[in-house]
Amino acid sequence: MGWSLRPPAIFLAIIGLVIPIPRTLAAPQTFNTALPVAEDEFIFREQLFFRSVGDDVSAADREIEVLGSVSVLGYGISSNFAAFIVLPYLDKEMRVTTIGGQRVTRKTDGFGDLRLFGRYTVYRSDALGRTFRVAPFLGVELPTGDHEDVDRLGILPAPLQLGSGSWDAFGGIVLTYQTLDYQIDIQASYKANSKANGFRFGDEAKLDTSLQYRLWPRDLSTGLPGFLYGVVEGNLISREKNEIAGARDSGSGGTSFFLSPGIQYVARRWIVEAIIQLPLFQELGGTALSDDFVVRTGFRFNF
Amino acid sequence: MNPVAKTSASLHAHLLAILFALFVPVAAWAAAEQHVYTLQTHGLACPFCAYGVEKQLGKVEGVESVSTDIASGTVIITMKEGQNLNEADARGAVERAGFTMQNFMEKEEL
Repeated sequence: MGWSLRPPAIFLAIIGLVIPIPRTLAAPQTFNTALPVAEDEFIFREQLFFRSVGDDVSAADREIEVLGSVSVLGYGISSNFAAFIVLPYLDKEMRVTTIGGQRVTRKTDGFGDLRLFGRYTVYRSDALGRTFRVAPFLGVELPTGDHEDVDRLGILPAPLQLGSGSWDAFGGIVLTYQTLDYQIDIQASYKANSKANGFRFGDEAKLDTSLQYRLWPRDLSTGLPGFLYGVVEGNLISREKNEIAGARDSGSGGTSFFLSPGIQYVARRWIVEAIIQLPLFQELGGTALSDDFVVRTGFRFNF
Repeated sequence: MNPVAKTSASLHAHLLAILFALFVPVAAWAAAEQHVYTLQTHGLACPFCAYGVEKQLGKVEGVESVSTDIASGTVIITMKEGQNLNEADARGAVERAGFTMQNFMEKEEL
């Protein structure tokens, strides 16, 4: 069983080469940015999200809702190298019809899998009022979330668990072009999942883009005013099928594309933001569940 | 004391008072001398990024305050009384923030 999308990674890589570079500004809300975290400076980001998944074509008529938060702490080890810790807290609930025809709710909550990653800026080109950065990143997802949780009906299905139970590596590259008027970010990433308890989530490839455009102030005067950005992000996600006891789960995997309008206010030391991810395209395997929408809102500050 | 000598002494006292009155503010002005520097940075394009530059420059010894004009990429640094800013220190601070310093000049003396 699956609740998103997943196809071959090479497809994503090709798409990444073909799609023209979109335009963005400031800092994306659904992925990373290449902008610097100054040496010996911390950045903290807290994001709340709500995800609704459903459209089950099977008799089980599964519906999943996830209310969660993602806490991110970054630290500038040098001007080019930053390290990040990402800790999610999840409250998952699934409504499903049993074989006996009874509608039941299964739920769990707690901390999910912790992510650690480092990002190194390998290329930087600065000019007056603009910058272009290229930064690869590499990390690992630790099995800190419970992956063997049970309820009165038995062990919860893997997608409902808080963690995968496996050590999973991920990496990618992020490009950022920022001017005083707008910012464009593009990120390509790949996550290689490993097996735990006979279950393996399919590998995941993503291509994310973001455009942030300064809506206010329209004209820059002197000083350091806050910026209000209009945001449009796109997320192309491709997942391979999950494996259960070595066999591929036909009801999982697929490809999805989200288009996400949002808004962001950027001040000198803090940012507040909100975005809604809307699925424009979902080609999923078998009975895999599809996303209805994802809403994200949060803040970040540096210190 | 004859009238001439009395007048002369009075004149000297007045002159001393005037000189003292002039000297005190001049000395105070000299002691309060503050150097102000202007840096032009490249790469700064949003308020959130400017904080990193201000924080790094604020760590340089003798810096009293830092302010940024985002549109011109200009950072103005006011030093504590009698303190100077070394160009290499300023360049290093901007680099540690992840940006590039383009120009460095002493703006004026207050």
